Amino acid sequence: MILVVAEQLDGRLNRASWEAIAAAQQTGGPVKVVVLGAQAGAVAADLAAADVAEVLVAEHPSLERYTADGYVLALAQIAGAEQPELVALPHTYQTRDFAPKLAARLDRALITDCIGVRPHDGGRVFVRAMFQGKLYADVLPAGPAPHIVTFQIGAYRADAVARGSSAAPTRALSLTIDASAVRQKPEAPFKEAKQAVDLSQAERIVAVGRGIKGQEHLAVAEKLAAALGAELAASRPICDAGWLPMDRQVGSSGQTVAPKLYVALGISGAIQHLVGMKGSSTIVAINKDPDAPMFEVADYGIVGDLFEIVPALTKALNG
Amino acid sequence: MIEILALWLLLLIFGGSFVAQVARRVRLVAAAPNNFSLDLLGFRIRRFVTDVVFQRKTIVERPFVGLAHAFVFWGFVAFAGFTATEFLKGLGIVDLTGTAWFHAYRLALAPFAVAALAGIVFLVIRRGIVRPVALGTHVSIESIVIGLFIAILMVTFLLDFRLEEGTPAARVNWWAHACVILAFLSLIPASKHLHLVLSPVTVFLKSPVLGTVPNLDFEKEEVGTEAIKDLKSKQVLDALTCVECGRCQVNCPAWESDKALNPKTLILQTKDALLAGSRDAKMVDVFDPGVLWQCTTCGACENQCPVGIEHLPLIIGARRGLVSNGEAPDYLGNVYNHMERRGNIWGLGYDQRQKFVESAGLEIFAAAKHEWLIWLGCAGAFEADFQKSLRSLFAILSAHGVRFGVLAKERCTGDVAKRTGNEYLFQELATQNIADLKAAGVTKILTSCPHCLKTIGDDYRRFGYEVQVVHSAVMVAELTRALRATDIESEVVTFHDPCYLGRYAGRTGEPRELLGRFGGELTEPARNRENPFCCGAGGGLLFEEKEKGTRISDVRFGQLRATGAGTIVTACPFCSIMLKGSQASAQSEIQVVDLMTFVNGRLQRMPGRTPGSP
Repeated sequence: MILVVAEQLDGRLNRASWEAIAAAQQTGGPVKVVVLGAQAGAVAADLAAADVAEVLVAEHPSLERYTADGYVLALAQIAGAEQPELVALPHTYQTRDFAPKLAARLDRALITDCIGVRPHDGGRVFVRAMFQGKLYADVLPAGPAPHIVTFQIGAYRADAVARGSSAAPTRALSLTIDASAVRQKPEAPFKEAKQAVDLSQAERIVAVGRGIKGQEHLAVAEKLAAALGAELAASRPICDAGWLPMDRQVGSSGQTVAPKLYVALGISGAIQHLVGMKGSSTIVAINKDPDAPMFEVADYGIVGDLFEIVPALTKALNG
Repeated sequence: MIEILALWLLLLIFGGSFVAQVARRVRLVAAAPNNFSLDLLGFRIRRFVTDVVFQRKTIVERPFVGLAHAFVFWGFVAFAGFTATEFLKGLGIVDLTGTAWFHAYRLALAPFAVAALAGIVFLVIRRGIVRPVALGTHVSIESIVIGLFIAILMVTFLLDFRLEEGTPAARVNWWAHACVILAFLSLIPASKHLHLVLSPVTVFLKSPVLGTVPNLDFEKEEVGTEAIKDLKSKQVLDALTCVECGRCQVNCPAWESDKALNPKTLILQTKDALLAGSRDAKMVDVFDPGVLWQCTTCGACENQCPVGIEHLPLIIGARRGLVSNGEAPDYLGNVYNHMERRGNIWGLGYDQRQKFVESAGLEIFAAAKHEWLIWLGCAGAFEADFQKSLRSLFAILSAHGVRFGVLAKERCTGDVAKRTGNEYLFQELATQNIADLKAAGVTKILTSCPHCLKTIGDDYRRFGYEVQVVHSAVMVAELTRALRATDIESEVVTFHDPCYLGRYAGRTGEPRELLGRFGGELTEPARNRENPFCCGAGGGLLFEEKEKGTRISDVRFGQLRATGAGTIVTACPFCSIMLKGSQASAQSEIQVVDLMTFVNGRLQRMPGRTPGSP
């Protein structure tokens, strides 16, 4: 049995939990999902929609706010009672905080930031990226079960979770946590002044540069963005000119983005811009100047007038 | 007899006040960790003659003001013997005033007195009525009083020629002169006029190399200047010496672009904190918020200062104090990460450098085979525009039979780390690079990046690493010296001197030589040669795109555009990035090109020549 640890905050499920469930389902074997916290029950019904054997709800006053001690105490108990062969977690900041401690507490192998799993000799081999993605390593966990595995965010698709024909059964767990064993005393959580637009979460981005010539032409890019379901972004000169707000600036001092698709319209590709978007999976550049540095990093390049190409592209997409 | 006693009494009071006030300041200097250095003594002596005796720095930037000041200064020096002789007599010790040499000396002083009087009247009018911005927003009453004192001294001296010796009028005149001197004496130490006493020492002790910021010694657990008590002796001396002339201020690109940073204010705030005895005051609290991160380390303040103040060690020292406590701005956190993990400021993968090395047909340096090592730098390794310029350089070098290679792997020299106060990271990068350079047997380095030039050529010396480092402009100027371009159409260009080439390295002639040789008709922008206006990229600010006030690069671009030239030539990858950014924002048609691209382009257009051939 694979035990997936879902993550919630204030009764709202972290999307990456679905990815971990999808990973567990694709790994094979029965899957249970456990969710911890004071309001864990609030997300249990959501989780029960997935094709899983059971949803376990671990509510406890000591788990009201996340603490590494509280989570490790709770999960160690749960792992002891449920005896999973694998504990799967999304590789979130919270997981990064407590997973090593949990592994040490259980004295079991931990493999972090995995991007895939393959069957191997009746067991499983886990795939991790190394050297910034230049190499992939196959990692075999050593020692007895349960092995603890965290999955890289984005490595599995949340919408690939298999849904059950009926809601999975939900079971409340009763935990004994000695409050004095929780040494961290968290303050109330706070958010840094959030940018109105969080481009780093966008899957697709259409970015405009100086080649757009005037603010009145932005509509050309906006239409393409709408057709692609993409966010609109820009290089520095555009934001400097005030044509788009600063929070849409991509670059070394703007936002750093890594969408699946980055369409650069009339962006020459100054290095400050490149460092902000070089991690994009697929880069499409449209520029009049064949020498534009943007073509050096682009997967697809179109040398030509964006005012001819972009409307045609938008039409084809909408067609 | 009564007069003698009275003079003794007054001397004890006013002289004692002078001594007590000066002693307090000397103790402040003595209490600070000693960092006085007398290396390159010959240079220091020559500089003392030009800058103190002949007032070079004072005169060069502001000729009229400087000359007026020089008259007053020379007057002071000339009068020293006269005043001493008169006081020896007045105190009843010895009377030398009747000697023939004294009469001759007194006569010789008359023109000095007239010049000093003219000078001080000019300066008082400037300060009190014209009120230039560099001198601050309010008129310093104390400076006016001291100006009047100097005027009275000169007038009473000159008046003495007209008065018969021994008459009551002559005595009153004599006493007026003596009292003003005594009052002056007690006013000096608490005012900016202490520079009279300190600036010759400060100038002598100033580092011979601009922007000298000695390494931190981690063995001794040094972390930089966190608080006033961490200031070194020269820095304390600097603060006490400041004459508040504001040359640093009006030359500062941050101040000129409406930012809060004013180098003069930094020095005066340091002085105030020292005199207030606030030894534990944190530098970041002593200064105005944010100013420490507005400095591009262009060096204008330090270079223009006539009294020997070194601003860069103060600013970078305080940055070190912040960085060691994890208080660097967020954008630098990313850059530090990139330098630590990827060995370059952009955080790009080294395979991209390899691609460039291969596509440019570069050989890996071998001491037996190559004379020169080309140091690509972060820009050379990764920045597409600058790589074009490097290809031009390679073409020129190859055509002249220069044998060169590159290191198989380079790390950033650590310039950004050094200038922003991340000393630990800097030393890590520096020691690794030095080990690689030594292992490869490199003796001559050629670079197109003025920041690499400064870092390898100067900062690496402090690790005991001595190597010849040359900027491409200097090398190519030499290589092409025999060429005479004919049949080449001329083009109006302007040249932006990179701070680290023009001001730090003093290489202002070679770029102009090259432009002239290859048909560039130079029109100089405001602020050129060894006092250029920064592009805004130095000191880690390349990565701070959310500048307060106006962008420094926009201000500079405006100055360059105002020349009317169709092309801006520069010789630094950072200047090029910044100016191109401003050019794009301004939607201007002016081209920004690197010097090497300009030269090679011209060579290619010369009839009957293969690219770069002699």
